[in-house]
Amino acid sequence: MISLKTIVILSHLPILATVVLAALRYRQLSKALQVFSWFIFLSGAIQFTSLWLCLVSINNMPLLHIYVAAGFPCLAWFYKTVLGNFINSRIVWGAALLFLLFSIVNSLFIQNIFRFNSNALAVESILIIILALFTFIFFLNHTMMEQGIQDIKSLTWINSGLFIYYLSCLMIFYFGDTILFRFSKDLSRHTWVYHSFFSTVMYICFFAGLWKRSKTPRL
Amino acid sequence: METVKDSTFIGALLPLVVVIFIIAVGVVLLYQHFQKNLFIQKLNQETLKNIHQGDLLRSSIEAQEEEQKRIAHNLHDELGAVLSIMRMNIIMLEQQEQEMPIPMLTGLQNVRRLCESALDSTRNISHRLMPPQLEAFGLIKTLESVIGQINNANSLCIHLDVPSNLPLFSRSINLGLYRIIMELINNTIKHSGAAKATIDIRLADQLIICHYSDNGIGFSNDHINKGLGHKSIDGRVNALNGTLDIRALSGVGFHAAIQIPIQTLVFDGMETICEYPFSIKA
Repeated sequence: MISLKTIVILSHLPILATVVLAALRYRQLSKALQVFSWFIFLSGAIQFTSLWLCLVSINNMPLLHIYVAAGFPCLAWFYKTVLGNFINSRIVWGAALLFLLFSIVNSLFIQNIFRFNSNALAVESILIIILALFTFIFFLNHTMMEQGIQDIKSLTWINSGLFIYYLSCLMIFYFGDTILFRFSKDLSRHTWVYHSFFSTVMYICFFAGLWKRSKTPRL
Repeated sequence: METVKDSTFIGALLPLVVVIFIIAVGVVLLYQHFQKNLFIQKLNQETLKNIHQGDLLRSSIEAQEEEQKRIAHNLHDELGAVLSIMRMNIIMLEQQEQEMPIPMLTGLQNVRRLCESALDSTRNISHRLMPPQLEAFGLIKTLESVIGQINNANSLCIHLDVPSNLPLFSRSINLGLYRIIMELINNTIKHSGAAKATIDIRLADQLIICHYSDNGIGFSNDHINKGLGHKSIDGRVNALNGTLDIRALSGVGFHAAIQIPIQTLVFDGMETICEYPFSIKA
């Protein structure tokens, strides 16, 4: 039987591959994919640091708080770049700012930095699910099909990865705090194995998206 | 008791998470399916649009040809006949020269010459509008006749290279290629200052391949497709569902390659080359 530690380490391999690919191809990527690469770099840095903290048995929850607070503005910027003028930038930046404030308030007053920030994660998931669905509709739009979007295949893979991960993990995130700190370690581990699987699926989608980037020169 | 409750909760949560994961994957797959179908639909619409545009182009060229044919016939048969009768009557009047004063006779001779000139012009215009040999003897004989006239009259020498076993072409190919080649010759005479031109027509792999070249001054690639003549050539090549490749470098000369897809049909035991039904080019 593979141990939880092995599963957690193995689930970081797609993250490593995606970070390396994004770094290698950064200069050839379009604007939207370059913005997304910043999310990959942030995510990679935090995930590997938290893995190291986990392996040396230090509470890595503060990193999750930083990841959630900084990750959503990155993703909002990415969606703003993809959706262009089809979404009012004030809505995106307003949502990102409100979320950042909520996340800080949550970390300071509701779920302190050593606890699982399930509130912020659940809200982030809901916002990203909405943005991902909106992006799917945008990609299906006839007008856009006529105009053609650069890197549509890459963006579809990335959007699909985000949608699958955040929708699948919504319940885990919502009950995360309860699962981690109230249930037994064995039951908690079961849940995080599922999370590792969804995370792997998401990073495989990211990798495929960056791999299938447009071969045409970036705009 | 607490552990039983916890495991029941996890036992309910995890299948729910799996179900949501399956739904999420389903949404993504459905999205891919919709996107693929929309692209196919869009492609079909474009295909229909292109076919419709091709049909319109062919109909407009056909209508233009029919109109030219009608005008040519009217000029030749009606105006030409009237002018011939006029000339005959003038000749008859001229033959009564003893009974008329000299100034009147000179005037009659002038009118006869003008009449003959008008008759020649009418014949030339009607032949140019619709060469009578084209329907009777086909493209190659018509080209040989036209090239013969040009070689005798101009400083330009045109060489026609055609294999002896070339089968008959359908009316639309004959007319289309004739008009294209005449436009190219016209451009060479008017603009190139060339001394030599070559026309090469062959059949290869269900294609009529026509190469036209001259040794004139050529022109820069920026001027390709700017003139009415080039647009007309382009329209006629498109109407025959063919391709046109023009290369013209300043000082090097002009070269045009036309490829027309064909299908071979047999009418009354005679092999005839017809244009290929319209298809969409990628």
